[in-house]
Amino acid sequence: MTAAAIELRNLNKSFGLAKIIQDVNLEITKGERHAIIGPNGAGKSTLFNLITGKYAPTTGQVLLHGQDVSGKKPFEINRMGLSRSFQITNIFHKMTVFENVRCGLLWSMGYKYNFWTMVNGQRELTRRTDEILEQINLTKRRDMLAGALAYAEQRALEIGITIAGGADIIMLDEPCAGMSHSETDLIVDLIRKVTEEKTLVVVEHDMGVIFDLADRISVLVYGEIIETDTPERVRASKAVQEAYLGTTLEEEAS
Amino acid sequence: MSLFIVNILDGLVTGLLLFMLCSGLTLIFSMMGVLNFAHASFYMLGAYFAYQISMFTGFWAGLIVAPIIVGVMGALIERYGLRRVHQYGHVPELIFTFGLALLIEEFVQFFWGRQQVPYNPPEALDFTAFAIAGNTFPAYKVFMIFMAIALFLVLLYILTRTRVGMTIQAALSYPETVQNLGHNVPMVFMGVFGVGTAMAGLAGVIAGPVMGTFPGMAFTLGAIVFVCIVVGGLGSLWGALVASLLIGWMQTFAASYNLRMEDLLIWLGFEKPTLMWESAWQDLWTLTLPQVGPILPYLFMVIVLVVRPQGLFGKRET
Amino acid sequence: MSTPSTNPLTAGTSRLVPLNHALPWIIAAVALFLLPVIFDSRAALTIMNQMAITIVFALAYNMLLGQGGMLSFGHAVYMGLGGFFSMHVLNWMSDDPWLPLPVLPIFGGFFGLLFAFLIGWFSTRRAGTTFAMISLGVGQLVASLSIIIVIFFGGEEGISGNRTDMLPFFGWDFGQQQEVYYLTAVWLLIAALGMYLYSRTPMGRLANAVRDNEERAEFLGYSQRNVRWISFCASGFFAGIAGALFAINFEILTEENLNLATSGSILLVTFLGGVGFFIGPIIGAIVFTLLQTVLSLHTEIWALYVGILFVATVMFFPFGLTGLLALHVMPWKLGKIGYLVKPYAKMAVPTLAFILSTAAVLEILFHARHAGRGDNEMTIYWWLTFDSHSPLPMIIGLVIAGVSAYALVKLAPGLKAAWDEATHMGEAGK
Repeated sequence: MTAAAIELRNLNKSFGLAKIIQDVNLEITKGERHAIIGPNGAGKSTLFNLITGKYAPTTGQVLLHGQDVSGKKPFEINRMGLSRSFQITNIFHKMTVFENVRCGLLWSMGYKYNFWTMVNGQRELTRRTDEILEQINLTKRRDMLAGALAYAEQRALEIGITIAGGADIIMLDEPCAGMSHSETDLIVDLIRKVTEEKTLVVVEHDMGVIFDLADRISVLVYGEIIETDTPERVRASKAVQEAYLGTTLEEEAS
Repeated sequence: MSLFIVNILDGLVTGLLLFMLCSGLTLIFSMMGVLNFAHASFYMLGAYFAYQISMFTGFWAGLIVAPIIVGVMGALIERYGLRRVHQYGHVPELIFTFGLALLIEEFVQFFWGRQQVPYNPPEALDFTAFAIAGNTFPAYKVFMIFMAIALFLVLLYILTRTRVGMTIQAALSYPETVQNLGHNVPMVFMGVFGVGTAMAGLAGVIAGPVMGTFPGMAFTLGAIVFVCIVVGGLGSLWGALVASLLIGWMQTFAASYNLRMEDLLIWLGFEKPTLMWESAWQDLWTLTLPQVGPILPYLFMVIVLVVRPQGLFGKRET
Repeated sequence: MSTPSTNPLTAGTSRLVPLNHALPWIIAAVALFLLPVIFDSRAALTIMNQMAITIVFALAYNMLLGQGGMLSFGHAVYMGLGGFFSMHVLNWMSDDPWLPLPVLPIFGGFFGLLFAFLIGWFSTRRAGTTFAMISLGVGQLVASLSIIIVIFFGGEEGISGNRTDMLPFFGWDFGQQQEVYYLTAVWLLIAALGMYLYSRTPMGRLANAVRDNEERAEFLGYSQRNVRWISFCASGFFAGIAGALFAINFEILTEENLNLATSGSILLVTFLGGVGFFIGPIIGAIVFTLLQTVLSLHTEIWALYVGILFVATVMFFPFGLTGLLALHVMPWKLGKIGYLVKPYAKMAVPTLAFILSTAAVLEILFHARHAGRGDNEMTIYWWLTFDSHSPLPMIIGLVIAGVSAYALVKLAPGLKAAWDEATHMGEAGK
């Protein structure tokens, strides 16, 4: 039996006295598109940061492909094949769009801390960077400074940087935050396209996006997972509807 | 033993003086995220202004007026200089305060020259407070200790008992909430910067007569102040207090006990080279404690940082 | 905008160095070769040597500040230690030389690198303010140690040597100032090219990435600390080369080569030139060296002027001189640089009047306070002689300064309008 892509075992995280994540257990299998939803302040972002190594768990374990990564630094976790995006756009503002994506490729293409080859002369590197730019529809913006891009383009670039390294687990933190309907549709298509045959974990507020994209959904409320199931069953679940206090998921999804 | 007590008191004077600077610096840093490189320059300005005023009216007027002038200058510099540079980010801010420090030193030399100026303790305090077995302790230093402690009591009162103080404290514990304090944030920043620099100015007024009032006084003390801040942990008031006192004592004791490396090496069983000036280890053999005194704070800082990168009382490594 | 297929980097060409990249270097090399033919006086050669050394040091410093976002208040340490070690190598070889002088900078570089490696181990764990404060502390530590460890640093007098003691290099023994110039110039080219190429390697790009957003870089597989550490080592290496060049040129090193004043002035030079550009530190070093030479000949308070210039640069032109020049690239490309000539010409006179009158006021004040008793007469701008204690010259100075400042304020909107005109239309035309 192959190990799950991500496995969380009795995960707990406290900040001072506040318990933000309580006894979370979760298995996400390879190739699954998994969504984490929950009301504001449920601890979604904290859970995200625990998996990606930004925070260390108070107790419990995070396993990637069966290997314990608790307490590892973000760059070590990244090298194990996990890549993430950020809720607040987190790009290299003073570098060009092309360079932003290229930075995402450097480690995975084995350049490491190389200081003896000229990056511009690396044809394979340039080719793959342009390929990703093509995928995220930013070819026209190739030589612009990333900080000068429109918001939706920055979000697309954020995803481009995230997938560039070819990680097999992609984690997206609210990829559609602050976008219009049409922009959201474009981004969802993009996400579907670039995460084919990869494990995807996404935190999102936009229910439409989630039910459209996910194979399974986990519902996080006050730091606990109250339900993990297919979109249809989560939609029907009484417990989930109660957690969302009055607003049915149907309404939000529409 | 008596020398020991005098040293404890002397070190306390130095340590409290350092803390008068560190506390203002830490307040400003925690509120605004700016490490004011020119902080010690305001200390120097305090001493020079007080000297200038004392020539007309005597010491006591300077004690009150000089820190106020320095504080107002600080507030104006925050308003018209720092706030402008703030938009470019933290590194340019730090570079700005560095430039300010250079400029203030040049201005001081411009007005008062390169030599030390004769700024002296007031006659009313120019006597020996007490003597322990022949080691005298001047009354002026007693006055310095009381001034420093009084300042902290006032600061403590403001921080814990007043509305403004509570706001500042909240901002200290949760720096990211500063933005949520409401529309008066720029005023609070200007105020904190003004008060912080005024405290540095006051430190200069009372330290000038003892430590000497000369254009290099800012950088001499400033570098040590930054060591205290880093050793204590950036942004920690308690850390700054502990580090200031430790370094104050470290310097005082190192200066007054003439321990020689030679004795230590002989005691360890090494043989003293007969022709010292041909030995490769001459510097080690002739080393004395007062000689290494000035570098001890820096050495201490390097050791603390190697063992504990966030400083003694620093919270997290981010 | 180009598409990838027509981009020169991806289209069939395998030329490693496009001509337009090599051209500035060729021009620089020719200029460096010809300069001593035009300026052949001893003083000029000395100034050019000093400039070259400052350029290498400033470029090395900008590898930290500009590329890596690390502000150091103690970078003189690496240049100074490189210099001290080179001097010791020189003296050690003087009895029985087996290497020519031009290889000495390699030693300087490696000693700079060694110390950057050791100190960087703990100082690069954090960026920002903490890094700056540690660099200051370490700088002070090394500078104070240099007074104590006499056998290595030579105490207050420092250490000196004789560059002609090493093996002759194709008949040159470097006794001539001009020979030293060519040695320095060649090393300047090597070091500058090395740093330029370094900035275009994966490490160079990553230094930028970590500067912009260290968190993002971590999530791309890179340890921000290692990236900073390696940048720091590279910078230390080139600073060490600058130190060795200093040792060769001046044949003496003292505590002054290690202390805060030197560290601070390289920050000044680099920032003045513009940290965001590769050429910035070069322009900064040239302008600063000239400014220092000219001002210090004519006024005692030159450091005050430099301080004012520096603070004004940080406040109003955070991208330095090069940034100011770069602003004009856009109007130039649009062919609208002409729009700016008239407003600039209008402002030239009041600007000059303001600077000269303000400087005059400062000079009068300084003279009145510090000149010897009875020495009331002073001369400024070569022909203006008056009594510095009488109020009239001061009042005239203040009035001119006030009037010209008023004129500048009045003219400013006109310049802004012209500027908008020169840059705006281009948006539509693009």
